[in-house]
Amino acid sequence: MQNKVFSVKNIAKSFGSEKEHNYIEVIRDISMDIDEKEFIVILGNSGCGKSTFLKILGGIDSATKGSMELYGKNIGRQIPRNALKHFGFVFQSNNLLPWRTAEGNLRFNLNTMKLKGPEWEKRIDEMLDIVGLLDYKKVYPHELSGGMKQRVGIARALVHDPDILILDQPLGALDAITRKMLSYEILNIWKKTQKTIIMVTNNVDEAILLANRIFVFSNKPAVITHEIRVDIPVEQRNHEIANNQRFNELREQINEIVRATL
Amino acid sequence: MAQSTPVRRTPKKERDPKRIIAPLVVLAVLYIGLEIFLRVFNVAAYVMPTPTHIIQATISSFHIILPDFLFTLKIICVGFCIAIPAGILLAALFSQFDILVKAMQPVVIWLVITPMITLIPLMTLWLGTDPNLRVIIVIIQATPIICLNTLNGFTHVEREKLELARSVGASKLQTFVSIIFMNALPQVFTGIKLGCIFSTIGAVSADFVSRGQGLGDRIIKFTKYSNFEESYGCIILIALIGITLYTVVEMIEKRIVLWKK
Repeated sequence: MQNKVFSVKNIAKSFGSEKEHNYIEVIRDISMDIDEKEFIVILGNSGCGKSTFLKILGGIDSATKGSMELYGKNIGRQIPRNALKHFGFVFQSNNLLPWRTAEGNLRFNLNTMKLKGPEWEKRIDEMLDIVGLLDYKKVYPHELSGGMKQRVGIARALVHDPDILILDQPLGALDAITRKMLSYEILNIWKKTQKTIIMVTNNVDEAILLANRIFVFSNKPAVITHEIRVDIPVEQRNHEIANNQRFNELREQINEIVRATL
Repeated sequence: MAQSTPVRRTPKKERDPKRIIAPLVVLAVLYIGLEIFLRVFNVAAYVMPTPTHIIQATISSFHIILPDFLFTLKIICVGFCIAIPAGILLAALFSQFDILVKAMQPVVIWLVITPMITLIPLMTLWLGTDPNLRVIIVIIQATPIICLNTLNGFTHVEREKLELARSVGASKLQTFVSIIFMNALPQVFTGIKLGCIFSTIGAVSADFVSRGQGLGDRIIKFTKYSNFEESYGCIILIALIGITLYTVVEMIEKRIVLWKK
């Protein structure tokens, strides 16, 4: 885990202007270096600007200050169009296109990125298989359950073979049981695909289960208050993780931090 | 992780016979009820002839009605077929610029509300009396309503869908075609269905004002000569044109808009 894939330097984001008295500083100053195959989790209260931060990383929005580096190359304050294929974005509420089948939703990414050919067609099946929905290829989103929709959303973010997977509170809109199931599934997907993952959540247990590094964001304007390395080996991260001593120590520690930032 | 298998979904695509039989029963009850009511209370034919007389008289005078029927059908269909792309293209154009949406929306609403037959006397002045010019009335009557609904669809896209397009680097055209247009399709069809109604109204009201040809003109002639059965027959024929158009559009919609529950 030494290869630096992506780094952000002093990213800041604000809306409005002081002149019109609607100036809001959402992100003040965030820097982080992300290595290959890392699983980064960002923890923060709701409305602290973590989604805004992810939108900058996903190329949806641009930063007002700072810069980003992809494979050591400076790409400025916004991810350029030709670099977007390195990123896969999973939205909070699945955000599937209702007029496309599961397969069609994956094809949307390939079409817009002009990735054609049998190898990509095969990849659609592979990705649906990874999330366990190969049999639902031809099914429209309104016929799928909430958890299944989100799994299609994850498959879609993976289909163009990005290097970095960005998940914006992917489990936020799900019920407790589905949420737990899907968090183990994300862990499996990470092991299988060996992608670098950046995920936002407000659930401490989820963060410790998945992350190898956790960044805690302060309230608006967001800065990184803590960086915690989760040193639980991957083999021990399973359904019994709640019995793990280290897990409980970390949980205690992080809960305290989170309480303090409230 | 275990591979999930699809649960057997109820085959809801199958035709429900009730949907066809129920309206037919209503029609039959209406027919028989009217027939009995009109005969028992001896209602005068100029108020309401019995359904049987209407059908009989309409069939026997059909050779007189047919040219007017075909003329009106032509006016409605041609006008409607031009109004659909015109309405959608105008909406697509307006939706490209925020300022144009704000500027044009009230104008379009104003056009929807204004009855276009009011223009016929003036149009005769500009363009002459060719009955085929009634197509123009149909077009300017139906285009605004199609445009208004389509524009409404084009301007109401969830922010998240547009963010998805940005996250995969979609061009402006790609975003329009595969997100904005697809997202608006249900509203586009609502506009087109309203367009059916507006086209029919436009064509018949144009007949009333311009005269000489068309089912509207035929109704006035029949009524003038006390052929009330045929007048009602023409009204039913006009309704049939409208309903057929509407049904065709609805069938196409069901084929295309598969994602609506």
